[in-house]
Amino acid sequence: MTDNTIIRFENVTKSYDSATPVLNNVSFEIERGKFYTLLGPSGCGKTTILRLIAGFMEPTSGDIYFNGNKINHVPANERQVNTVFQDYALFPHLNVFENIAFGLRIKKLKKEEITRRVLEALKFVNLEGYENREIVEMSGGQKQRVAIARAIVNDPEVILLDEPLSALDLKLRTEMQYELRELQQRLGKTFIFVTHDQEEALAMSDEIFVMNAGVIQQSGTPMDIYDEPINRFVADFIGESNIVPGVMIADYRVQFGGKDFECADKGLSPNEKVDIVIRPEDLEITTVDRGKMTVKVDTQLFRGVHYELSTFDKDGNEWLVHSTKKAAVGEEIGLDFDPEAIHVMRLNETEEEFDKRLESYGEENHAK
Amino acid sequence: MNRSSKLSKVYLALVFIILYTPIFYLIFYSFNSGGTMSSFKSFSLEHYKAVFADTRLIMILINTIIIALLSALISTAIGVIGAIGIVYLKNRKSRNALLSLNNVLIVSPDVIIGASFLILFTMVGVKLGFASVLISHIAFSVPIVVIMVLPKLQEMSSTLIDAALDLGASKREVLSRVIIPYIKPGIFAGFFLALTYSLDDFAVTFFVTGNGFTTLSVEIYSMARAGITLTINALSGLLFIVTLLLVLGYYFVTNRTKNPLRTGVPK
Repeated sequence: MTDNTIIRFENVTKSYDSATPVLNNVSFEIERGKFYTLLGPSGCGKTTILRLIAGFMEPTSGDIYFNGNKINHVPANERQVNTVFQDYALFPHLNVFENIAFGLRIKKLKKEEITRRVLEALKFVNLEGYENREIVEMSGGQKQRVAIARAIVNDPEVILLDEPLSALDLKLRTEMQYELRELQQRLGKTFIFVTHDQEEALAMSDEIFVMNAGVIQQSGTPMDIYDEPINRFVADFIGESNIVPGVMIADYRVQFGGKDFECADKGLSPNEKVDIVIRPEDLEITTVDRGKMTVKVDTQLFRGVHYELSTFDKDGNEWLVHSTKKAAVGEEIGLDFDPEAIHVMRLNETEEEFDKRLESYGEENHAK
Repeated sequence: MNRSSKLSKVYLALVFIILYTPIFYLIFYSFNSGGTMSSFKSFSLEHYKAVFADTRLIMILINTIIIALLSALISTAIGVIGAIGIVYLKNRKSRNALLSLNNVLIVSPDVIIGASFLILFTMVGVKLGFASVLISHIAFSVPIVVIMVLPKLQEMSSTLIDAALDLGASKREVLSRVIIPYIKPGIFAGFFLALTYSLDDFAVTFFVTGNGFTTLSVEIYSMARAGITLTINALSGLLFIVTLLLVLGYYFVTNRTKNPLRTGVPK
């Protein structure tokens, strides 16, 4: 644990009744001043983590630390965190100013200070001049900003955001992504953001926790997680990917689709069964004799920036290709790719083992 | 389409005429200088004068109003607390059981409530009079308040409470700063309904009153049995006007509190 750690989960389990736990023995650390994203499908336990940090529920077992102090039983109103709710949870009987001032009024601050801080918070979220509006007069995006202002005005150490952008339309959502990221950097506060939208997570975060079935599958920077997914679930959830079964014949040799290929992975047992991931944008269209692999084009969609081709190899594996080049449907084409584009995933590998394996490659590269 | 809507309007008008004619007939004859309702002689206010000259009647009127206001206030307080208790009860079975018990009290006939209170009061030894009437009025008003407040509470998103706690509010502050302001329209509706129920209650009061203490409805009943005088008409007319004012007051209050919650487009 470093001095920079602000929140620490130690073997936290949360279960309702006696059924399978929503959160299963989760441990992690959150560092000060970073933008974290909890990413996963609905029901994976990401909101549960948020509610545990906010203090709306207590863990069934395990401990939660905040600034080094155990906070398992500290009630929500005594915690140094504020939440932006999915439905905004603005008080309909109060206007914009009073909504933002709510927390400050509870703290019984002086009138002038409340006014000053509320107006400052409004300025921060680009809502100057809206202080006398009623909540019903605000649009979805504006309500969102009020909710954020209401959280930041209390100057908490951590701000929790529970899918705050999910109710907005696409354009506004992208806009708010930029704004939130910028706001976090300006404030320098820790943001913990919950979402099921992988693009949102990749675009905004310093660090992503990918969750599934109550367990953190993988944590790392957006690039780490995108380039080196630990397992089939992460690879599938983050971006589009081609995942096929393969066999690791020897170090740097992998077999899939009935052929041997050169790859960048080593240290696996010989003939170990693995999953192979190749991102669609890493596949390049070429002629049949030049390609490393021969596939038949099944469908082709124009996506604007690129064509999306669905192709099948002889074994019936589907290969999704993103290419700026066009191909004819029904035609046989060759696919070319770098050895580095092949990502090998061991079955049932833990995050620790995975990290160790990746590190060993790095050392080797340095040695060279 | 057009014809049927015209027809339905005529039907509606007919229903209202049938409902309101007796009342206006009654009030109309309260201005009759003659002593009966068979023929209208000339306009006069003598029956109203008689009402105001009768100090006993005025005392009864004041009693009725005091009972109505007190019972409405107390039952609103109890009902609001009860409704909040019911809504935030964790166990669904006991919550439904409590709600059913509450609803049974609303639908059960006044006669039964009155009779059972009479038995209770005589058993316990409460002297029949002001206190017994007040207690029984509170008792039958509480379920009404609960029913009026409950929908507002259920409509309130639980994240509002989470948000208030998150912003540092204690449980007490959550209640006073979020829950109560949010359900205010329901509280007002419950209060006014309790007020009108208490004002015009006859059956329950008839059972539990005694020692010379009466309310207006019981008094009018006994006056009518002694023989019709137009003083009753005048009294009924006054009561009708008071009720009308109450309804208008309720309408005004709820409209004002509802206004900020109206769904509106940004200006």
